[in-house]
Amino acid sequence: MRLLIPILALALLAPALSAKEELVTLPERDSVQLTIYNSEDLTLVRERRTLTFKEGDNRIQFSWANTLIDPTSVEFQPVGKDARDALEIQDTSYPAESHEMLIWTVTCSKPAGYEVEISYFTSGISWQAEYTGMVSKNDDTADITAYVTVTNNSGEEYENAQVRLVVGVIHLVERIVDLAQPGHGGGRGMPQDRWREMEEEAQGEPAADNGMARPKAIQKAGLSEYYIYTVEGTETIPNRWSKRLRSFQVKGVPLKTVYRLEPAKFGPYFTKVLEFKNDEEHKLGKEPLPDGMIRLYKDVGAGRLAWMGVLQSKYIPKGDEVKINIGPDAECTLKSKRTGYKKKDLAFRYNSIVGWTIVEDHELVVHNFRDIDVEVEIHQSFQGDFDFDSEDKFEKHDASTQKIHFTLKAGQEIKLTYKVTTRYGTNRK
Amino acid sequence: MNKRLILTLAGAALVASAIGISQPEPAQARIKLATLPDKEAVVVRFDHPNQVLVEEERTISLQKGVNTVDFSWAGTNIDKGSIVFRAVNANSKVEILSTSYPPGEAALTWSIASPDARSEKFRLSYLMANIQRETDYRAIVSNDEKTLTFKHYFKIRNWSGGHFDSADFITRDGKTFEKALENGEAKRVLVNKWDKVKLTKEYVYDTQRQYEGKVLTDYVLKNTKEMGLGAIPLEYGKVRIYQDDGKGTTAFTGEDWGTFTPIGDDMRLNIGIAQDIKVEFKRMVNDVENRRGNVYDRDIEDEYEIKNFKDTEATLILTLRVDGEWEMQKDSSGFESYERIDNETIKFKVKCPAKGEPVKLKFHYKQLNIW
Repeated sequence: MRLLIPILALALLAPALSAKEELVTLPERDSVQLTIYNSEDLTLVRERRTLTFKEGDNRIQFSWANTLIDPTSVEFQPVGKDARDALEIQDTSYPAESHEMLIWTVTCSKPAGYEVEISYFTSGISWQAEYTGMVSKNDDTADITAYVTVTNNSGEEYENAQVRLVVGVIHLVERIVDLAQPGHGGGRGMPQDRWREMEEEAQGEPAADNGMARPKAIQKAGLSEYYIYTVEGTETIPNRWSKRLRSFQVKGVPLKTVYRLEPAKFGPYFTKVLEFKNDEEHKLGKEPLPDGMIRLYKDVGAGRLAWMGVLQSKYIPKGDEVKINIGPDAECTLKSKRTGYKKKDLAFRYNSIVGWTIVEDHELVVHNFRDIDVEVEIHQSFQGDFDFDSEDKFEKHDASTQKIHFTLKAGQEIKLTYKVTTRYGTNRK
Repeated sequence: MNKRLILTLAGAALVASAIGISQPEPAQARIKLATLPDKEAVVVRFDHPNQVLVEEERTISLQKGVNTVDFSWAGTNIDKGSIVFRAVNANSKVEILSTSYPPGEAALTWSIASPDARSEKFRLSYLMANIQRETDYRAIVSNDEKTLTFKHYFKIRNWSGGHFDSADFITRDGKTFEKALENGEAKRVLVNKWDKVKLTKEYVYDTQRQYEGKVLTDYVLKNTKEMGLGAIPLEYGKVRIYQDDGKGTTAFTGEDWGTFTPIGDDMRLNIGIAQDIKVEFKRMVNDVENRRGNVYDRDIEDEYEIKNFKDTEATLILTLRVDGEWEMQKDSSGFESYERIDNETIKFKVKCPAKGEPVKLKFHYKQLNIW
């Protein structure tokens, strides 16, 4: 459909820019390719069209009313040696009467039809990763399906577009959506060679056809600090629609359940954390996992599901750990209390107390009500000048934090105790 | 489940963005030809404390090639991102290619590839909002207050906009019951019943719970197998308590909120005030001593005089609190048997003879290093 622009028009009338009457032809897009970034509201669109050129100067009008195209990014490029030899861009005009139009003057030495490529940045197209995990009954494995969802709010409909998704945080000095506003015209072109090279390098092999349609393969390739996902074939995403495609599916990813009290990472509660690594041992590790929603379901048998929870994951590099906080679990509990509190080593100056030391005893009781063994890790943090002492196997995590990691058998209860001595005032070292 | 919750199978070419219409209205015009596959099994799960997961099965006739199936849920509150759609047969050759979300509509379309013309059963799972659940309990206590029958009810209120002709409702502890549930309707179902649950009755003096110093009557249920419970963690909910009056009927003796009680923990229920046990508090000593500059200790002797006007002996539990650093003094009553719960909390058990004979508890302690 072509009611939405950009319209590429070969202007056939006299070259006076002020002329209002124009007769234009509307060449079809031969192909279009979208490269969508998820860290910024940015998409590189590259479209190819075949235009017929006459000898001498040809005026080519490109307009993009009601879209979110950055006018400073629009580029014109002949495709192929013949076209490059025959065509030369004389200038690019931004007519005063429209903020959403430009006119290239192209000199042709050998009249013929040539393929040209027009590329530009647009905002309004985004993509997001999403994950669905089906966790086994004992929390020991998960079937993980990754999706990418592309949303088109750009104002333009891209039919049969080749779609590439860039994972990574790029640096922009101005937002594309701002550059798309009137007043930002005026030919401050940005070099796109780098993006073009990136994409060409990241081009994936087309997948083999086995007769029946199947979910499209999404090829992943690393490039510099980025990853490019290439969706096999082409996609049509009408304006304001979203489309979700499967990125990969892995069955039986081994999971570890650890109950953790780590306020710095998981909040103030003793929570159940499902853990795996994005590596080969866990049937993953082929690519980093972009940030996105993880929705977890529990397999309750016979293919039926129960809801476990949803959380936003961060970008997970290859080989890195993934820890999914499921929240507190009534089947494994921790109770803590202060069992002793004493002051000692009081120091005075001019009859006023200036230094003292507080000795506190604490007790933690962890109870596993589940019928399987579980791992537990507890972090305890302290402030100031303190000494920590325990007969349990705590170890130093950092200057202010002690931690202990152990396995708790099915039905087992364990009591941990520790003493913390904190020096205040002049007693402080 | 709902007339407005429609699963539509559309001829591949018939669900399409209307060509030529692209004005930015919230909902785009879409031409649909729909067949409506029946729901075959609906399950509503309450496993999660805050979310309700609905699962339904439908058999869809597929043509060879790529089929478009449209699912819409106008008027019901389904979490779009939570929708999981898959063939019931895990080895099915049918593949779901992609999911598309039209703008401004509570709907989506799936692209489904089938190797041949066939009927395939699919299962659809999603989170649905506005289905409320509530737990409550009925306790019928024996005449001698030693045991009780504990009934666990589960109540569902359906404000979701959908209605369930027949669905299996599954509670957090796996109990299933089949019911029909209209939109706006509520249903309460007995899901568990435990007989001969052992119960402890306690008289408690605790000014943090009863600031006037009145004595509370508590029933304590231990959520363990030995005591007749222990099958499931007990959900938070109101407990209404009735007592067998020995004449074949029961009397309502009070109610309390039962807190969430994991297996192994106690559920403590206050049934009211025990007016026949009186506690009088007096501070007999309150002296500053051992002054060093601006630091001092404080010597405190508290006396609790308890009178039990009942005809039988009773045990009173006094839960007392002292902040900061303090030491119990040996001349306190029951020095050998008190229980220090944590640094700040101490518990005394005092046997109170019948018929108003007074008994005194002396609590002598020193608060140390105060400034």
